[in-house]
Formats: sequence, structure tokens, C-alpha cells
Amino acid sequence: MTEEIPIWRIKYYPKNLDQICGRTEIKKALKNIIAEKNFPHLLFIGAEGIGKTTLATLFSKEFLGTEFGANFKLVYANVPLSEEERKQARTEAYISTSKIGSTAGRRITTPAFIQIKVKPFAQLKALGTAPFKILVIKNFEVLGSNQQGFRRLMEIYGSNCRMILITTKISSVIDPIISRCQIFLIPRVRFEHFGNLMNTIADNESLEFSDESIEMLYKLSEGRIFQAIDILQLSSVTGNKIDKTVLYENAQRFQNDLIRSLLLISLKGDFPKSRELARKILSKYKYTIHELFKFLLNEINKLPLSRYVRSEMINLIADADFRALDGRDSDIQISALLSKFCLFSQYL
Amino acid sequence: MPKTVEMPYVEKYRPKSLKEMALSTARVSGQRVKLEEELSDFIKNFFIERKRVNNENAKIREHNKTVIEKEQKEYIQIASEKAAVLLEGPPGIGKTSIVFALANDLNMEVIETNASDTRTRATLEKRLKETSKSRGIMDFITESKEKIILIDEVDGIYGVQDRGAVPTIIDLVQNTQFPIIMCSNEYKTSLQPLYNKIRRFEVQSLPKREVLKIAHNILKKENITQLKEEDLELIIDKNNGDLRGVINDIQGISQGKVEGDVKEFILSLRRDSLEEIFTLIRDLFKVSSLREARNLTDKSDVDYNFLYKWVNENLPTFIKTNRELVNAYENLSLADEIFGRIRINQYWDLLPYFFDLFAGGVALSRKETPEAKGFRRVVFPRYTTGSYFSITGTQKELVEKLNKKYEISQIDVIQNLLPFLKILCGSSRKHLKNISDWLELDAKQKKLLK
Repeated sequence: MTEEIPIWRIKYYPKNLDQICGRTEIKKALKNIIAEKNFPHLLFIGAEGIGKTTLATLFSKEFLGTEFGANFKLVYANVPLSEEERKQARTEAYISTSKIGSTAGRRITTPAFIQIKVKPFAQLKALGTAPFKILVIKNFEVLGSNQQGFRRLMEIYGSNCRMILITTKISSVIDPIISRCQIFLIPRVRFEHFGNLMNTIADNESLEFSDESIEMLYKLSEGRIFQAIDILQLSSVTGNKIDKTVLYENAQRFQNDLIRSLLLISLKGDFPKSRELARKILSKYKYTIHELFKFLLNEINKLPLSRYVRSEMINLIADADFRALDGRDSDIQISALLSKFCLFSQYL
Repeated sequence: MPKTVEMPYVEKYRPKSLKEMALSTARVSGQRVKLEEELSDFIKNFFIERKRVNNENAKIREHNKTVIEKEQKEYIQIASEKAAVLLEGPPGIGKTSIVFALANDLNMEVIETNASDTRTRATLEKRLKETSKSRGIMDFITESKEKIILIDEVDGIYGVQDRGAVPTIIDLVQNTQFPIIMCSNEYKTSLQPLYNKIRRFEVQSLPKREVLKIAHNILKKENITQLKEEDLELIIDKNNGDLRGVINDIQGISQGKVEGDVKEFILSLRRDSLEEIFTLIRDLFKVSSLREARNLTDKSDVDYNFLYKWVNENLPTFIKTNRELVNAYENLSLADEIFGRIRINQYWDLLPYFFDLFAGGVALSRKETPEAKGFRRVVFPRYTTGSYFSITGTQKELVEKLNKKYEISQIDVIQNLLPFLKILCGSSRKHLKNISDWLELDAKQKKLLK
């Protein structure tokens, strides 16, 4: 190796399909597809951070071979479009030539995401000897009602461009999309495969650790390989010997203190301050409002509260999250929740 | 008075002297003072102070000529609270007028800059600094007038056009040769460094009888007869101490040749939109019935897409206890949800509920907090979803550099990778060096990792 990569999660990123840890059945199925040189649209479903994207990328790489660079694209549905991209989408809208019906003379706009990120790639013919292009769309469920735009798109351009849709929540993907795809349920990596990978890393970096601490690591990272490697690298800073306490302490450092202090401030009853903090968190980490509610929920489960109080608070969060689904201003919804927490503080 | 040129009454009747003015009181750190006395004291003291400082500096200059560089003394400056004051208060109560009247009385010149000028660093320096730093040669020969620098509408400094204005003003305050008076309507966080340095007067609204006196005077001089006494009172009540608003309304009615119901017309008169939002928000939290709240939102031209965000931002200013806040937010969040459904499904029939909930529902939640007395600051809605999700320049560069080596999305970097790298680099310098070498980061990007 010419250059030492300082970030382990990049250093131990698998180079091909075989190197991916565990998941033998899925790898076998994907290998079959590669041998046949054809596949329908795919839908990858699995928990957060377990390697769906890695699988999709490496699969496409092997499928396309030398034509990979020109015929592959990875887009993130959860990254908001920039102002220029929105402007461009608006200018590309066209006026309907139909003379009857509700669309007569109307301005037809496609959702900006499809217009900018998907259509230009899917419309162009596949380059070189590749049978078709591959488009990977991450966090597909975020698109919400824009998913409707994919229905015809997947049929019209299907022969030219196959899509691999990646999602964590099957329930928020609409039925017509599911029926157009072959579904792959990606499981969590099994413990024995996880152990093998960790042992290889330990050998490479000359770390010492026991089976017990591997078990601990598996629990702490909830089977997410990236996070496990991150914890491992952080633990290695203090020394080569890694035991359970070192792992646990380092895993604790990943906890987000701000969310906890947001809860505590609001439970003290200081509304203006807690609203200020919530805005700070949202702007710093670019969380969506739903993510913030989810983190609050996790944090409440960790706080020492009575059963009644906990269930009340979960109720409040659920209510706020539900309203935020339809609401237009997320700041109002988070403020409403925080004000309820502030009032709640009187009864604690 | 011959009617040759049509002038706005506001300019025509701008007081020439303090004697003609409706004088307003002000507050300095909670104490009531008379504004005109404080201001003329400030100006007199400034010139005494300037004389002292200039004499001292002349001595220092002489001293510095005789000694080597090490023993040289530094020049002294006029203390910034003696060099500048800020008048803060609602629009139209005579902040600008009192400065001009005072200057007229003291036989001084006013150098003015206001929000209609672009106030970048360069233009401000060109306009003010040269006058403020030095007195021209001619000033020594002829007995020329002293000057007052008036920076009007300081709170209007914002955006790209006025970049760098605040540091320039601070610099100006420290090096000035003339007294500086600033005026502003609203509190602004971006001006905080300025607020720390100077004295602030909170100017109060004018009492009703003063406004009435001046209005009568104008009516007499202009021979306006169609306004009855009760109409005049309505105008004054509506403007809530804003004398300029009253005068503008009088002109609008008298020259507009209103026929029919004057009262309707008075109620429909508008100030400019921003001012209107400010007063609308203040009025909204004073209402005592749903009908009043509905009247306010019905009569207003303010875009409702926007108005309920203003309500959200300013709610904690007017409603204090947690119990009321919960009720208010319950209504506001329901209004937001309804509005979302209206926009998604085009259920425009639901719009009345939206209005009643966010205006009346919120305002009537105030039960325990006493009604706002005096001047409450209304601020812009600061949280807008769009801008909060854009990535800043340095972060973007970092993501691009990472992406050359490793495919990862911006959101992932900010939420997962960057916090990890921060912890890692925080615990060992070796890693910081390795990572920044590997990614070829410059100093600014390196700072992100610390």
C-alpha cells in the first residue's frame, strides 16, 4: 500500500463484493444476477447503517465492470437541492399544449429532485458496452409524495436505466413502486462474521482484545459496521489493549449531549432558552424535525423518569411528530412540544 | 402660507426649534429623563471633552517629538459613551426631528445618513469619517459651524449591501471629532457590539394631548374642515403615539377629497408594510375578543403565509407563563397543521379556521400575563427552514475533499463523520496531523476538526 489511510472506516472499506462481511445468501443472489447480465429494478430494505449502500455500489461496480464510471450514479434523496438547482428546475418547466381538460395551458412542473437529479441521467443512452445504466437512490422514503413521479419514469426509461432504491422504511414507500421492484431484505451482519472482521482489523493494527469485548462492541454498535470501526479506532488511541470498559467509555462519547440538555432545560421550564437551543441543534447538525423528535424519544428512554411521566412525554412527542407531518413550519411544531414540556415541569 | 409647492406636511411642519416641538420623555436604564435636556447636555459636554482631549494630545505630540520611540505615549481618545448616543423608540415620535431642531437652536450643521443610502464600509467612510476626524483648514480661518453627525435608521443596516457597516460605525465613534447621534426602531442582535459602547435612550411615545395640539394647529393652518373632532381622535388612537403617521393621515384625507364615510377611510389607511407588521403584532396581543382579532387580520394586507411565523417568533415576548404558552402553541400548531393540509389538498374552505386559530386563538390565550405596557420589541422571524439546511463554505470544501477519496453525502458528513473526527482529533494530535495531511486540508478547514 502506497499511502496509509488515517480513517479506519475508509481504510477497511471493502473493495469488492467478496470482501463484504457476512450476508452470504444475498451475495450469492447478486452474483447470479451478474452472471445473467440482467436484473429488474431493485429495492434494498434494511436498518440504518448496516451497509445497504456499500452493497449496492459494489454490486454495480462488479456488474458494469470497466464501464462503471460513466454508467453509475449515486444520489441522495435527503440532501436538499441548492437554490441554483431549484431555479433551473423552474426554468425547465413547460407549458402544456393540450386544449381540453384541466391541464389545458397549464404550466407543467415535475418535482425538482426528479427534474435535476434523476431525469438527465436516466434519459441519456448507456455508454460503451454496458447493457444499461444503474442509478442508486439513497433514503428513497424521504421523497414522500414525489415518489409518484417515479412510476412512469421507471417504466419509460427502465430499459435504459435500472434503479436500485435504498430505504430504511418500507412502510413509507408507495405500493406502485414496491410492485415494480425486486425486494432485497438486507439483514444485520451476523455475529460470527462480525467477529471475523474485527479480528482481521485487530491483527492488522496489532490490537489485543478478547471475544467478550467483541460481543460488547457488537452490542454497542447494534451491528453497524461503520460505527463499530469508529469506536474501535477511538479506543485504540489510548493503547493497544482493548477491554470492555474502554469500549464502553468511548462509545459514550458518541452520545449527543445537546439533545439531553435540550430535554433538561425544557423540563426546568425555561421556554425561550430551550427554543433557542433546539434551533441551534437543528442548524448545526441539519437534522430534519422528525429526526430530532426521534432523538428526543431515545433520550427520554434513558432518563430516570417514572412510568407515567415517560408515557405522557412519549405521547406528547408522538402528537407533535404527527402534526409536523402535515404542518408547514417545523419551528412551530418543535416550539409547541417544548412549551408542553415546560408546563410539564411543574408536575415533576 | 402660499400654496406654491406641494410638500409632504411632515416636512412642511418639521419643527425648526425645540420650542415648537412636542417633547417626548425618554428612559435611561429605567429612569425617566427629559430627552431635550439630556441631548443638549450631551452635546455641550462633548465639546468640552473634545477640547480637553485635543489639548492633551497636543501635549503628547510635543512630548513624543522629544523622546525616543520606546518612551512615546499613546494618544488618548474621547470615551465612547461621551461621543455617541442611541435614541431608540417606535417610529414617528420625533427622534430625527429633535436632532434637527436642536442643531438649529445651537446653530450647528447636521450631517445625515439614513437607510436610503447604501451603507457599506467604503461609502460610510467616505461620507462620515473624513468630516468626523478632521476639521478642514477653512474651519480655523472662518468661524464655521460645528457639526452633528446623525446616523438615522441604524436598525436598517443589514444584508449584503451594508456589509462592514457596524465595525465602521464603532471605529467612527472612537475617533470622532463631532458628537454622533443614532436613531433606531428595533433592537437588533447584530448591533450588540455597538450597544455595549454607547448610551441608549428609550424614547417613549408621545402623549395624546401633545399630538392633538399639533394636529389642531395643522388643521387650522391648512384650512381643513372635513375632519371632525371624533375623526381626529380616531386617527390619533389608530396611530398610537406616532405623530408622523397622524400628520400623513391628515394630509391623505384632506388632499384625497374623501367622499362619504371618513371613518371607513381612516381605518383603511396604511403605513408601509414592515411598520404595519410591527404594529399589527403589537395590536394582536392586546385584543380582548375573537371579533377584534378577526378584524385585525381581515383589514391587514400582510401576507398570511408569513404573518403566522411572526406570531410564532414574538409569542414569548408577549406571553410569559408556561400555562398560557401551552394554550397558545396548541392553537398555533393546529393552525400550522391546517395550513399544511390546505396547501397540500387545496382545501381552501378551511382557511377561516386557520385565521381564527393563529390570531384570535393565540392572542386570547393570554390570561395571566398583564397587557404589554410601553414599547415591546418585535423581531423578525429568524428561523426559516431553507437557510438552516444549507452548508457553509468551509464545510462544503471539506466534504468535497472527502468525496474525492470516499463517496459520502453532505448530510452524513455533518451528522456522523464530522462529530467522530472531532472526537478522534481531540484525543490525539497525531491523528489530526495524519488526517489533515491525507486530505490536504488548509488551516481553516483544519479548524473544523478541532
